[in-house]
Amino acid sequence: MNTENRNTENKTSFGTPGMSAWMLSMLISLMLLAPNAMAQQQVTGTVIDAETEETLPGVNIRVKDTNRGTTTNAQGQFTIRLDSTQTVLVFSFVGFVTQEVDVANQTEVTVVMQPDVGELDELVVIGYGAVRKRDVTGSVSRVQADDIDDVTSLNAEQSLQGKVSGVQITTTSGAPGASAAVRIRGVGTFNNSSPIYVVDGVILDDISFLNPADIESMEILKDASATAIYGSRGANGVVLVQTKSGSSAKDGPVVTVSAEAGLQQLEREIDLLNGRQFAIIANEIRAGSYNNVDAVPNTNWQNQIFDIAPTQNHQVSISGSGERSDYYVSLGYYQQAGIIDKSNYERLSLKINNTYRINEQVKFGNNFTIAPYKQRVAPGVTFSAYRAQPLLEPYYDDGSFGVVYNVGNPLADLAYSNNYNSGVRFVGNVFGEVIVAEDFLIRSSFGTDAALNRNKNFTPAYTIYNPDGTASQQNNEYSDLFKGEGINYSWLWENTVNYIADFDKHQVNVVGGLTMQQTRSEVIRLSGQNVIRDGEDFWYIEPSYIVDEANNINMLSSIMNGVDPNQYYSMLSYLGRVVYSYDNKYMTTITMRRDGSSKFAEGNRWGTFPSFALGWNIDRESFMQEFETLSNLKLRASWGKIGNEKITYYDRFSRVDAGLLAVFGNPDAAYPGATYGKTGNPDLTWETTTQTDIGLEFGFWERRLTGEIDFYNRETDDILVELSTPGHLGNGQGERVRYNAASVLNRGIEFSLGWEDNFGELGYAVNVVGNTIHNEVQAIGGNAGIDSVLIGGGLANGQTVTRSTVGQPIGAFYGYKTDGIFQNQSELDSYPSMSQAGVGDLRFKDINGDGEINGDDRTFIGSPIPDFVYGFSVDLNYKNWDMSVGLQGQYGNEIFNGKNVVRPDPYNFEAHVWDRWTGEGTSNSEPRPSYGGYNYLPSDRFIQDGSYLRLRSLVIGYSLPVNLTEKLGLSRARVYMKGTNLFTWTKYTGYTPEIGSGDVLSNGIDTGIYPIPRVVYLGFNTTF
Amino acid sequence: MKNIKNILSIVLLTFLLWGCEDFLSVNPQSELTQEAYPTTAADALQSTNAVYATLRDWHYHSGGFPILDIMSDDAHKGSSPDDAANTVGPYDDFTHSPTQDGLDRWWNVLYEGIRRANIVVQEVPTIEMNENLKNRYLAEARFLRGLYYFDLVRAFGGVPLVTSPEPELQVPRASRDDTFAQIIADLEFAAETLPPKSEYGGDDLGRATRGAAQALLARVYLFRGDFAQAESYAMDVIDSGEYGLEPEFVDANGQDGEHGIESVFEIGAVATGSVEGNQYANTQGVRGTPNRGWGFNRPSIDLREAFAEGDPRESGTIIELGDVIDGIEILGDSSTPDEMTDEQGNVIQIESYNRKVWIPGTSTNTQFGHNRRLIRYADVLLMAAEALNENNQPVAALIYLNQVRERARQGNASILPDITETNKDALRDIILHERRVELALEGHRFWDLVRTGEAPDVLGPLGFTEGKHEVLPIPQSEIDLSQGTLTQNEEW
Repeated sequence: MNTENRNTENKTSFGTPGMSAWMLSMLISLMLLAPNAMAQQQVTGTVIDAETEETLPGVNIRVKDTNRGTTTNAQGQFTIRLDSTQTVLVFSFVGFVTQEVDVANQTEVTVVMQPDVGELDELVVIGYGAVRKRDVTGSVSRVQADDIDDVTSLNAEQSLQGKVSGVQITTTSGAPGASAAVRIRGVGTFNNSSPIYVVDGVILDDISFLNPADIESMEILKDASATAIYGSRGANGVVLVQTKSGSSAKDGPVVTVSAEAGLQQLEREIDLLNGRQFAIIANEIRAGSYNNVDAVPNTNWQNQIFDIAPTQNHQVSISGSGERSDYYVSLGYYQQAGIIDKSNYERLSLKINNTYRINEQVKFGNNFTIAPYKQRVAPGVTFSAYRAQPLLEPYYDDGSFGVVYNVGNPLADLAYSNNYNSGVRFVGNVFGEVIVAEDFLIRSSFGTDAALNRNKNFTPAYTIYNPDGTASQQNNEYSDLFKGEGINYSWLWENTVNYIADFDKHQVNVVGGLTMQQTRSEVIRLSGQNVIRDGEDFWYIEPSYIVDEANNINMLSSIMNGVDPNQYYSMLSYLGRVVYSYDNKYMTTITMRRDGSSKFAEGNRWGTFPSFALGWNIDRESFMQEFETLSNLKLRASWGKIGNEKITYYDRFSRVDAGLLAVFGNPDAAYPGATYGKTGNPDLTWETTTQTDIGLEFGFWERRLTGEIDFYNRETDDILVELSTPGHLGNGQGERVRYNAASVLNRGIEFSLGWEDNFGELGYAVNVVGNTIHNEVQAIGGNAGIDSVLIGGGLANGQTVTRSTVGQPIGAFYGYKTDGIFQNQSELDSYPSMSQAGVGDLRFKDINGDGEINGDDRTFIGSPIPDFVYGFSVDLNYKNWDMSVGLQGQYGNEIFNGKNVVRPDPYNFEAHVWDRWTGEGTSNSEPRPSYGGYNYLPSDRFIQDGSYLRLRSLVIGYSLPVNLTEKLGLSRARVYMKGTNLFTWTKYTGYTPEIGSGDVLSNGIDTGIYPIPRVVYLGFNTTF
Repeated sequence: MKNIKNILSIVLLTFLLWGCEDFLSVNPQSELTQEAYPTTAADALQSTNAVYATLRDWHYHSGGFPILDIMSDDAHKGSSPDDAANTVGPYDDFTHSPTQDGLDRWWNVLYEGIRRANIVVQEVPTIEMNENLKNRYLAEARFLRGLYYFDLVRAFGGVPLVTSPEPELQVPRASRDDTFAQIIADLEFAAETLPPKSEYGGDDLGRATRGAAQALLARVYLFRGDFAQAESYAMDVIDSGEYGLEPEFVDANGQDGEHGIESVFEIGAVATGSVEGNQYANTQGVRGTPNRGWGFNRPSIDLREAFAEGDPRESGTIIELGDVIDGIEILGDSSTPDEMTDEQGNVIQIESYNRKVWIPGTSTNTQFGHNRRLIRYADVLLMAAEALNENNQPVAALIYLNQVRERARQGNASILPDITETNKDALRDIILHERRVELALEGHRFWDLVRTGEAPDVLGPLGFTEGKHEVLPIPQSEIDLSQGTLTQNEEW
């Protein structure tokens, strides 16, 4: 960049008399100061904007490698004293290129700062190449390493929560190793609605293997112009991940070391009845259940299962760059224990990125990640602790586990659980690039994603006894051992040619390519019972050691060997893109990808996905030059069709079900049987999403204020949807057949706004992002003509609580509307009611007005999809201190409190039951208590407001002073405290209002999720 | 530029050589598809076996729970008071609804079985193989199809008639008569084609036989009130000489009598849990200690009182707490009250279990080995007696009725004297009562009450409404899926 010291060339700015007088006074006062004044040097100066030639107030000036500094005053002037050892000043200002000026032997300087056009000229990765940000016509959001760092997570996507407009991230569980549901611009399909991830060019379904610290930047491609280059896989958005490389380390190896450790804690308990309250209510339901309600024990089961748990995250990396090669090597370790015992996750990740330059024309390199992991999975005790009766005690006097009727003792479930996952994932690619005929770049990249995943699960034989010494229902007659092993192997070979040219005012960037991908998998599962010893040394399927000796039966209970149907396919693609810009003002991007997938039958196999986009840098027009506050203004519009094909590979086949055993003979023996399973659909083809996007990008006041606003309209047609088929087709209970038979609309506005500036030495930045979502099913059934309703949200008691149908959002909640409580017999007699309803029970609305209450009176009672998703962050830095606060939330969605519904047996109740109806006029919302039954039919009684605002992250850091770090031989060292999920404002009464699901038809239903903990970390990072 | 062309053409060539469509042709792994199956004699056998597999599906047994007995006066829901109170409980007092748990499971599993039969009927004739065997497979499949449709028509009335593996998406309900016509056609073909039980080898016991088809026809005709045909088919079974009564009553359903002389059609099951076993018995097995199952289908006090003084069948039907069976003491379930009383303090339920699903052992796995008898000879005898009486041959009827009583007597001359009543109406009541005590908790009682018109009188106090509860409602989910093609039963 242009660094120019103009103190000798241009003194005009020193000409004002006021200035001279001020300067003079300063000089005099300085001379009157300390006797050693001569050993020091005082410098005064002015800072000017190179473009406007006006003075710049508020510019930060710092003596290099110290913390001493000042800022320019309103006239753009400054004065600073230096000692002779350090004479380099560092000038920095938002929107300008930071520059260093050596002022040795000078007293007056004028510093001209260049506007940081780099931000607009910097290259944005858009898949199969990069273009200047100025030329981007699509909707692309970028997240840098700093932002990712604010939240420690296993999975970098979790750091995006509240940071990117148009992206909704929902943690599906607080269990160690759990992933998040990522939705870009609403929910576009009934199938897998997750985006794809492209890590250094390798297309992947998830990035759980990737250490977030290795990420340089993430780009989220949202509109059709940006995602069409990924064709059939871009419909749910694309997350491009660039990992760190050695190329930025110019001065030899840079070593960074960071370490942090934290403690996790349950954010809040659910308010349940205590033992006495439960006994009173139990007596009301069934008289005489408990004789002395004041003498019953009171166990807080939540206290029993939740604990404070540690987590840690460390990494060390070395990067460097030489004349012919760059390298980045890092080793990371992540560990998270669960706040429930017997859950843990550990991951080691080794990253090796290298680039080798043979000569100016030829370059090759590799990006490798190897990530072994170990996970321990706790049984689902959250739900049983929620339901366990509080007047039962965890242990008997002799220390053995007490019986917990109906749900089992959660502590015993934990004690006997030994469920482990482990594995290793290798993701990487090798690539070569050749520049031919100056303008052509030919690149070939061969990438692989290989994973080995293993599971072992052992449950010993045990019995929990009733108080009378008999065996309770919670027991395991024989020890159970399950072993599973899965291998996935995928390769992706991509060949592209890129042509970049500038002719006068014309700029062209063309890419064309061919890619092939093959994904294969194999799964082996074995299970047996009655293992000869309980110890871990015997957790193997050794046939002679799994024998029921009493009956001489071999207890090898199942063997399965097959493939993972989601991981067995091939794809072939042709792609092309032209980006053309004229005079940096007018841009157009035309993209086309043609994909063939083995998931579809010949004839339906190929899909073509085009997009077209226009952009206009309005600020470059001459008529805009008078708007001086405006730094940039761009209008862009795009249209395109993108596909989705995330279905299992064999949905099109009518397969034969084997293993339908028939038992004949005396003695009984099983004989093999096989016949057609459910009917396949050979006509299946791509889902197509048509997306239109109009966006405006702007920057004001030297880009102190920046922003972006987009209107989007996404319509997905031919959605591959599994429809229930009528029973008479004989597909069997619950079996569904896939059809291209639904359409969904997602429409909304998304925006991001940022303000960055400083007050003196206090630098601050404020960012707000948000987006609205209007999600609406436009068709279901289509030409398949089977049903127009998708029923989902199945609860453990068989009730289904969501319906997706035309005019409603995907997975809308469906049930009865309540209308108070039957206060007396005459009310019960005069209103329509179900036969089970009694006085004190809920009154359901007669929606269809036929004078009866039955299944036809159910209606739509809420939506799991928020109207508005937002995030808000503030970053501050003052001298050595830095702080960042991130808030994130959503508004307008409902949660179905499913855990409150499933109660066929006497379970503990939520505290609101205490305010029950006990007689006329006592309550008109909380019915008389019962163990399940009529009042627990799915109704709006279980619908709760799911809006929330969460203090997602709070980071306070302190960088050690330079003189100290120098002594330690470090170039930078920082200690920090970090909090995650510190507080959530919500009306929802569960552990968390963040209730996600991978299944879009069962979204927003709380069936007793593993709570997401609050975490506080202490850590440091250092560079040398 | 020449370089680029070279490189490009190499890359292009690589792709072309690979062959696009070949690269994209991925067949299901380790799985046959419909196009390639069934094509061999072995396939024909396996696809026939698959029709039988439905019988061991938990859902086949009235959707999982023994709701037919629970709806009758023989049994209550059972298990602990709150277990499945809202899912199974409503059948006990006739408060069940079209969305009631289990209805959809039963409907779906029966059609799944029908589809498997239709596959055999459509595909097996095209296979080159031994013609006799081929015909037997076809007849086995049609027997089972008739069996499944009979369950459907009794439970739901006329239903969509499907006789090919790939029917239309929407099929309206056929009339009751048409449904019965299909059942009778299938069973008649089976009765003509299938070998008698004695012609099967020991390894094939459990396959459909001529006797099973004839006995099922008798049951079908009895249900329709066609006593002439019922008599004819019941007598065919009796006259075949293939069957007799087990000397011990408990062996008629117990392990020692599996595929024995009394067994006309039974569902084989291996005692290794749900894969090769049958959860039917586990659902009703003793709850608590020993832990044999869930304890549904609790014998009612009314059933206890139906047994004549000293009738050994009472203890052969009901397991009481404290009983010792095969050396195992029945302690029961601690979360279930031993007795339940009404508001006046009268005992209305006693913790007890279905003896007929008992199988020796102390584990749940072994309980899965119970072979459910769908048709046993005692039933055939009683059907014959009933039909003969209706056809004005009371003397002949008494022969078969008294054969059943004689076995029940177990040599004790002081109990269960021979019946000598020849008044048609009185004998009808006696035979119905004999059916009750002989066949209790085997799923017959509810249909016996419905077909004889006794249900409103007998079950009315339990909540039965005449004109409504003779059938179950069509599952609401099927009505919804049919988009108006299926109509609900009247009054539902």
